[in-house]
Amino acid sequence: MADPKLRILVVDDFSTMRRIVRNLLKELGFTNVDEAEDGAIALQKLQGGGFEFVVTDWNMPNMDGLTLLQTIRATPTLKHLPVLMITAEAKKENIIAAAQAGASGYIVKPFTAGTLSEKLNKIFEKMGMA
Amino acid sequence: MSDFGGMEDLLQDFLQEAHDLLSDVDNKLVELEKTPDDRGLLNDIFRGFPTVKGGAGFLNASELVTLCHLTENLFDRLRNGELELNPELMDVIMAATNGVREMFNELGQMVQPQAADPQVIAALRGALDGTPSVPSQGVAEPPASAKASADDPAPVSIGVSGEPDWGKLQSAVTGGAAADGEFIAKEEPVPVASVPKAIEKSAALVPPNSQAPSPFGRRTTDRPGGQATSARRTEERGRENTIRVDTARLDQVLNLSGEIGLTKNRLTSLRADILAGKNDSETLHALDQAVSQLDLLVSDLQNSVMKTRMQPIGRLFQKYPRIARDLARQLGKDVELVLSGEETEVDKTMIEDLADPLIHLIRNAVDHGVELPADRQASGKPVKSLVRLEARQEGDHIVLIIADDGKGMSPERIRAKAIEKGLINEEEANTLDERQSLNLIFLPGFSTMEKVSDVSGRGVGMDVVKTNIQKLNGSVEIRSEQGKGSVFIISLPLTLAILPVLLVLLGDQPFALPLSMVREILPIDRERIQEVGGKETLVVRGEVLPVVTLARLLGWPLEQPPEYGVFMQTAERSFILGVDSFAGRDDAVIKSLEDFKPKGVAGVTTLSNGQIVLILDMKELLSDLGMRTDVGGGGRMLEFT
Repeated sequence: MADPKLRILVVDDFSTMRRIVRNLLKELGFTNVDEAEDGAIALQKLQGGGFEFVVTDWNMPNMDGLTLLQTIRATPTLKHLPVLMITAEAKKENIIAAAQAGASGYIVKPFTAGTLSEKLNKIFEKMGMA
Repeated sequence: MSDFGGMEDLLQDFLQEAHDLLSDVDNKLVELEKTPDDRGLLNDIFRGFPTVKGGAGFLNASELVTLCHLTENLFDRLRNGELELNPELMDVIMAATNGVREMFNELGQMVQPQAADPQVIAALRGALDGTPSVPSQGVAEPPASAKASADDPAPVSIGVSGEPDWGKLQSAVTGGAAADGEFIAKEEPVPVASVPKAIEKSAALVPPNSQAPSPFGRRTTDRPGGQATSARRTEERGRENTIRVDTARLDQVLNLSGEIGLTKNRLTSLRADILAGKNDSETLHALDQAVSQLDLLVSDLQNSVMKTRMQPIGRLFQKYPRIARDLARQLGKDVELVLSGEETEVDKTMIEDLADPLIHLIRNAVDHGVELPADRQASGKPVKSLVRLEARQEGDHIVLIIADDGKGMSPERIRAKAIEKGLINEEEANTLDERQSLNLIFLPGFSTMEKVSDVSGRGVGMDVVKTNIQKLNGSVEIRSEQGKGSVFIISLPLTLAILPVLLVLLGDQPFALPLSMVREILPIDRERIQEVGGKETLVVRGEVLPVVTLARLLGWPLEQPPEYGVFMQTAERSFILGVDSFAGRDDAVIKSLEDFKPKGVAGVTTLSNGQIVLILDMKELLSDLGMRTDVGGGGRMLEFT
């Protein structure tokens, strides 16, 4: 189990979805969660520092999740951040695009706390955070 | 019982957000019809569907997921230029969004939505199949056969457990970077020609009908029987009981209540001083100041609290362009609904109660107001008709305007129709001026078109519009110019919480009358009262008005003839209300009487001296009288406001 104090940013334009993800994270013991409404706002918050994990939706206005991911990977101070992509799609090209852009994981809506935990643990393992 | 045990909160949030989203999509669709190639617009619309789909997935609303999924695929093709938008496709899209809205309504009643209209689903699939199929499609789309089965728990949630091994995929794509625990994509990604195969393989491990775990432990099969559902649908059409408030406004309320707390402390200490016998001018001055301050703060607080209930009327307006568009299309008309003043703020209850009257007036404008394109051309008008829906604040009133540039209304035809329907007789018709003639359309049972129920109707007439507006203490006015169009002007008070009243006295007992009905106050000279058909009447500036005493309305014994008359004007009639005296006007804060409701009493209010006063519901009192045909002399009163 990773540090429950892990500072997580949940990015989604749909506030109900942010709430769902937040609740699921809470169920897994992660309470240090902040929210952003789109990629642009997320990037601002991330550049403010302090975040250790990003969970982002794909489809968003202003800056979508993929662009956010690419920007994170292209920013020296942020590129190490693990990014879990949440989408409503299980389409091949989306999965490939996310992988190419350097997503740390990919999860399809709807999911349970169990699935989320599994995905998170895989990422933690790889990062040596477990 | 609900299908959403433990998820009601989530459902409410979802619905509120999703409704806004859908209204936005609807408006963009109307815009899209004008500019079908606007990629930005297509993108915006597309985005709505995965969002709703995602939320619906968590609520196990599998039918909604399916419908959104198909629509989303369609928009994906459109925005990528793989499909082109044409009117037929637009109809399919509109039908799909209607389906989504219906499902929201079902969800609103805590029922899992039924499957979408099979025709809509078929049309969507047909539109998607109309082009060379894209390889990606099969992954997420459930087989058609799975659809038919109602026991299928979550047809589209494949992939929850069925996606490819991420590590392997990523190393395939990024050339092994991920396998090292590094999460940085290579600057030049390795060509991925071989990757789709790898995915196909892993995706194939998942049967297309995989029983994905149900996120919240409930299955759609728990849905109650169809009949029970529809019964509940009508029963539970409740109102939204949550409200979104700008935090700045809440902060202001908090701030003011804090200040009031401080002032209260000051008063408490002053009271202690005064009770201890300290009553020098300094103490009294301090008391005066504290009370004045409290006065100010309380009225500020009242204002701020009222503001938390205020919502921009745009939230209501945004539903209408789509309704106008659908109706115009159905009627073969070319209509654009132009909105303005969406930011105007209106009390939340009022917004809800305005929804139906406004829909009716808009439908009325599109259906009866504007002409067919050919007729417009013939009379030299632009083919496209404009219907304007406007809101603005004028002083302490909200004014709503529904205007069309159609053919206008003919007072003669309206009068003829009213006579034909037996609503008035010829004699009465002859006494009506233009304004009064137009107002005839608000009479129950009036409608100028036989086929009214098909389109404008829902079986609701203009009389219901008027009644609903009056319930909100508002009024409707019609202006119409033949050949140029008609305008409906709705005027509403800013809030329902405070009612300006006139206080009248019967003996020593005060009663409050809604000031909106009071035209003027006049002394009653017993000698000028004339008996017409055994009823007392008074001639005011040539108008013969019946005199009704408040005592009689209330069933009190008449102890003395009334000294004053209040010229009252309601929707149906004007009359003089005889009272003993006046106590002035007041802004009453209405308290409703819970549990019991005496006839003719709208509520109670408290006067500054602590006395409790009944606020009279004139309409109810009069309806009682109306049945005994006490009012109005021989003929029916025909004065419309």
